[in-house]
Amino acid sequence: MASPSESDRKIITRFLHKTLHAVVASRVPRLHHAAAAGPASPKNDRWFHLALDDHPSPADHHGAVVDPLVFDILLTRRGCSDVIVERWTARCVPPVPWSAASPHHPHDGSFLRRTYKKCTILLRSIYTLLRLLPVHRIFRLLCSSSQPYNYDLCHKVLSFAAPFSRAQEAELKQYSFAPVETMLGHLVVSVQYRPSLTNFNLEVSLPTPPLIITDYVGSPAADPMRPFPSSLPDRMSHPIVYQYPPRGIRTLAAPSFDRPHSWNSASMVHHHLSSAPGPPDSELLPGHYGHLVPNQRSSMERKGSSGFGEFKLSPPCSTSPSPSPPTRVGNSQLSRLHSETSPVSIPLPATENNQMHRSPNFSDPFKSLFPPPSPRSTRTDLSFRESPSKSISFRKPDGFSLGDIHSNLHMHAAYKVIKDGRDDSGRFSALSSGGSPGYGFSSSSRQSIQDDLDDEDFSYPFAFDDVDTSDSQTRSLDGKEASENSGSHKSQEAAVGILVHMLKTAAPLRQDQSCSMQSLEPNGEASISSSVMSRKACDALEELQSYKEMKNLLLSKSGAKLQDSVKQRKESSEALS
Amino acid sequence: MNCETCQLKELVVEPPEIREVLRCILHTILFHRALGLVRPKDVECELFDITYVQCEDHELEKKIDEKINQFIGWVEKHPNRKSQVCISFYEVKNKHATWFGNKIERFYWEQWYINLHIISPKPHGKSHNTKAHVVTGENAFEESNSRCAALESSLREVLFQIIKFVNEKKDHIPPLQNSEIVSYPYEISTPSSSDSSFGWHADVLKRMLQTGHPSMLS
Repeated sequence: MASPSESDRKIITRFLHKTLHAVVASRVPRLHHAAAAGPASPKNDRWFHLALDDHPSPADHHGAVVDPLVFDILLTRRGCSDVIVERWTARCVPPVPWSAASPHHPHDGSFLRRTYKKCTILLRSIYTLLRLLPVHRIFRLLCSSSQPYNYDLCHKVLSFAAPFSRAQEAELKQYSFAPVETMLGHLVVSVQYRPSLTNFNLEVSLPTPPLIITDYVGSPAADPMRPFPSSLPDRMSHPIVYQYPPRGIRTLAAPSFDRPHSWNSASMVHHHLSSAPGPPDSELLPGHYGHLVPNQRSSMERKGSSGFGEFKLSPPCSTSPSPSPPTRVGNSQLSRLHSETSPVSIPLPATENNQMHRSPNFSDPFKSLFPPPSPRSTRTDLSFRESPSKSISFRKPDGFSLGDIHSNLHMHAAYKVIKDGRDDSGRFSALSSGGSPGYGFSSSSRQSIQDDLDDEDFSYPFAFDDVDTSDSQTRSLDGKEASENSGSHKSQEAAVGILVHMLKTAAPLRQDQSCSMQSLEPNGEASISSSVMSRKACDALEELQSYKEMKNLLLSKSGAKLQDSVKQRKESSEALS
Repeated sequence: MNCETCQLKELVVEPPEIREVLRCILHTILFHRALGLVRPKDVECELFDITYVQCEDHELEKKIDEKINQFIGWVEKHPNRKSQVCISFYEVKNKHATWFGNKIERFYWEQWYINLHIISPKPHGKSHNTKAHVVTGENAFEESNSRCAALESSLREVLFQIIKFVNEKKDHIPPLQNSEIVSYPYEISTPSSSDSSFGWHADVLKRMLQTGHPSMLS
């Protein structure tokens, strides 16, 4: 049979262990989860008539009974140092031997029973207080919520802890339980705790911060070889470099620029129709499409062409099969401008004049207009190469003039927003497009554009060699073109240049087109497609010829009239004389 | 044996809060006096940000809920009044055999008085002016929130008061006669459903008759 002192020692030891168990179980979420996840233990700790869940033993008090047991509850935060939010201290304070106040305890079981009863009550109080302190709320949050937080609770068990500094003491409150008298001394339990935790920025932390994918392709059919630039501002300082020979769809030479999409608000800035007019050079550059549309009309008007006024009313439409963002058809142009996906670059042969193509915002308007490139680019490349006879100026990028390049880019930008039918017999637009079909475009680049345009059922003005998408009239024109192109390319280009000039000054075309646009405007995209006629070189040449004939006829008529009038005068004078 | 008495701080509560407040206080007291084998269960208040502990004993919970319902019924008949709920711990002693039967004596060794001031919720002021009505509604909402926060703070103080009393007063607690019993015998007294003043006093007189002569501490 154990002696009373041994029993007392055991009571004290078990009490300290149980206290530590209760504190840790109410403060450390990790242990709480471990206990909950583990199998239910049939044997619970029943000491002091308090059945607690069987937690992994945090630490046992191995020291002497009179050695204090200190356990700190620490608040750990990401990026910050740990903070002690609670410090529990349990110790058995031995009586002063020489003190007369130390009572004489009878060595019977009654004292032990009273000690045990008092320890039981004390443990109940500790258990209750643990739920009233502020840290318990944090413990509940960490245990109950599955969301990750930027903080955690852990504990430290010490035999000795450095006392708090004055500043720390000032921040803490203390609560001491009434001591329990034992044979070995007074069992004292106290807690120092922070009364408020509002100073700590405790919040839910996301495992990964939200990322904005700036170069999202959005299409599994996208060309895997196509590099996507990464940063928007870089585009501002990089010139557009067109490459030849064409190698499929290429991004602009700018190594990094964003792909603003229709859902990218950054791209919207450049597409606002009411944006201020850009510099004069930018008016003709497709990069400033947002500037282009309203300004182009004025510039075209000045030159006597219909300009992009019709394009303003002809929003783009993307029917790309790839899972690009949906494009709305039949709504306002602005919405359509915004609904397009990333554009396709237009590789051009690198020339000295390409410096003039510096367009910081080139990609912006196009990217919102152009659907992602389709795999047809390679296919059409092959088909294109198989019909070299029909690809005349596409293979001759040389000899471009600056104005032609500008106008070609114009044309491209304008037509990208237009859904055009396959009516290639339409009148040549007033656009100052480069006469040569290959003007400013490499074959593959044109095809890449063609792919995009094909999705829109659009016929490029000078895509006279677009066998797949052209109709019979186009084919017949192609036949004429073949015969005509038996001559030199230079003469053809010169003729086209002249035609362009004439078209710019051809007022009736613009009126007709504007009228047609006005009548078809309510119909939206369908009217736009029909109103904008695709022009081809052959049509242009034909028209040039017709104008020449008209001119000659007029001249001849006027000359004949003059002669007649002169004759009449002579006759009359003779008659009078 | 001394009868220790603890008068808890008065709480101003509205009728919907009575049940939660009484449950919190009564279970906390009983947890400290249920010295038999218990498995503690954490209970989070619905109306307050307070977690209290109760013994996982079905009979105990049932008895407490019955008394609370009784008290709420009395409050409905007697609104806007101050009242008390008393929980007393006793031990049974000396079954005196009398001519009329066995008389069971109860020796109350501890009594807790839960003081409640029941108030009716303030109705929203009627106003023909829409804006004024909205403002009045907002003010009432803020008042309600502040009152609720004050009640939560007071309830915490009451729980701290219970812990302090329980720890300071231990010597009067009688030894456990039977460890199989969860708690010491107890009794929860509420104002009688009959006429308040007379019924209340009758309960006090009854208790006095049942309580034996107070003796010195053993």
